[in-house]
Amino acid sequence: MAAPSRLPLLQVCSTRVFLLRCTQGFHSEPTVREPAYPPVIPSRTAKSKSAKKRREDDYHSQIRAASSVQDKLRLLTKLQREKYVVYPQTFTLNADRWYQHFTKTVFLPGLPEKFSVGRQVVDNENGKVPPAAGGVDPAVVDENTFSELRSLVGNGILQENFYLKKRRPFLQKEQEHVVAPFLSNLVSSVTNALAKYNPLLKKSSLDFNPEVSFYWVRGERTVTRGHRRGRVDPIRFQINDQPHCQIRVPEQLEEFLPLQESVSAEVPVVHFEPNRLPMFQRQYDNNIFIGSKVTDPCSYGHTQFHLVHDRFKRDRLIKGNLADQIEVRLRANAIASLFAWTGAQAMYQGFWSHEDLTRPFVSQAVVTDGQYFSFFCYQLNTLALTVQTDQNNPRKNICWGTENMRLYEEVKDGEVVGLNDDVLKLLVHFLLNKPQKM
Amino acid sequence: MCLSVPLSRYPLYQLGNPQLRIFRTNFFMTLVKPGKEQPPDTVQFQIPMEMTKCDVKNYLEKIYSVPVGAVRTRIQYCTNKKRNHLSQRVKRPDYKVAYIQLAQQQTFQFPEIFPQKDTALEPGSVEEMQDQFMQDEQQRQKADPRRGGVTEWFGL
Repeated sequence: MAAPSRLPLLQVCSTRVFLLRCTQGFHSEPTVREPAYPPVIPSRTAKSKSAKKRREDDYHSQIRAASSVQDKLRLLTKLQREKYVVYPQTFTLNADRWYQHFTKTVFLPGLPEKFSVGRQVVDNENGKVPPAAGGVDPAVVDENTFSELRSLVGNGILQENFYLKKRRPFLQKEQEHVVAPFLSNLVSSVTNALAKYNPLLKKSSLDFNPEVSFYWVRGERTVTRGHRRGRVDPIRFQINDQPHCQIRVPEQLEEFLPLQESVSAEVPVVHFEPNRLPMFQRQYDNNIFIGSKVTDPCSYGHTQFHLVHDRFKRDRLIKGNLADQIEVRLRANAIASLFAWTGAQAMYQGFWSHEDLTRPFVSQAVVTDGQYFSFFCYQLNTLALTVQTDQNNPRKNICWGTENMRLYEEVKDGEVVGLNDDVLKLLVHFLLNKPQKM
Repeated sequence: MCLSVPLSRYPLYQLGNPQLRIFRTNFFMTLVKPGKEQPPDTVQFQIPMEMTKCDVKNYLEKIYSVPVGAVRTRIQYCTNKKRNHLSQRVKRPDYKVAYIQLAQQQTFQFPEIFPQKDTALEPGSVEEMQDQFMQDEQQRQKADPRRGGVTEWFGL
């Protein structure tokens, strides 16, 4: 104290300031200031695993903090890398097992209870609604309306196969020339006829040749050759699908099974790399699209209609010794297309692999080649398919599907022979699906 | 592989020709063990360069009645870099590989031709005692692991 002031010590000690300072805070706690160190976190730019993890966590928190859905989608899809392109209609063998593995889907044969319990779709006695077994009020259609639908369908078939004089279509264009117009006709006329029974259809949007695309990550692989050898890379997938037509609705359909309910069937696991399927990699724009942009009011899916291409028709497969692959390919088509559609719908609502779904997303599909119809339902329970998020994720996506059913036997002398009512009833039941509260 | 009739001499088909029927082919295929792990329905063959996918499919279906789902082929280029004692470049011949996927859900696993023999010696036999003795000797000769690889030269 005396040294800085150049005064004699005793004089300094007797000053008032000195005495005050000595006695003032004598019995109180000393003011302790916490040392303000910066937080101990790994570096961002170092060549270490913790630095990589920190970069990934920063990226994830940036996505979580995104202000709008468009920003979120942009952040998720802006980085382009090599990815496997998944084709819903594929020539590969046993594709359905592989697609189930890529999308973590369980396949259950048959349709969910909703479509099998309350099967009484057509009201046979006028004015009387038959009670269903489960106590659920099924959508019921008048007998008159049903016969009207039958005639519409019959007319549609005859229009393309009998009334219209068509030239022989060019190679591998028969589906496009003959079946595609019939399917458009069928969908639009049946939807219009059923609009009075299902108010949801009045607010729906029917798109023709829409584009549905989805981009996701599943699994990891170690790079074997090249300058990145030894590094662990996630496996990326992209679907670009073009269904024949689809119905989009502004309100979500009800779930078939509760989200937390576990299904007894297992997801098949394939230990081989996707290129053994064979599936090929490309690098291009990562798209996530349901058929309309994010701001469109009809942002949930109802039903898709798929047309089987000429290359994958029944007679070609039977000729090529692949008769058992017919059902396999339909299943693969349904699983891939519906997973892409429901996944894109979920992403439009802001869910992604690290922010998993809080409610299941449901869609339906009909796959046909003109004569044979098969019906599929899909429930998306989880989008968390990356290695990191899948570790404690018991949820699985579920796909229900029927076998091939013939709509009609043949067209003979201007008459449709053997029109199957069951197929029509199932189609009507599909289109009448609506949320409970409507 | 030596052929009596060169493969390129099969008659070219023109519209109106009769159906070409071949009863004894010039092709010979070799079933090989896959180098990389293949899915269970995939079989790997080495085929002559002139053979096509359709030829492979017809060959297996008609002669061996194997239901073939899909065939994919590739040509393996082998080196022309090696030189002999006269400093001339020696080409290792190229070969074509076919990957066949079987139809009707059939599977095929290439058998182990050289199985790994378990060298489990009988307890109580002379070889087992010798083996044990050698292992003990090696253990004795090894340095103390607590030294962490430092040799005996550094020390007392």
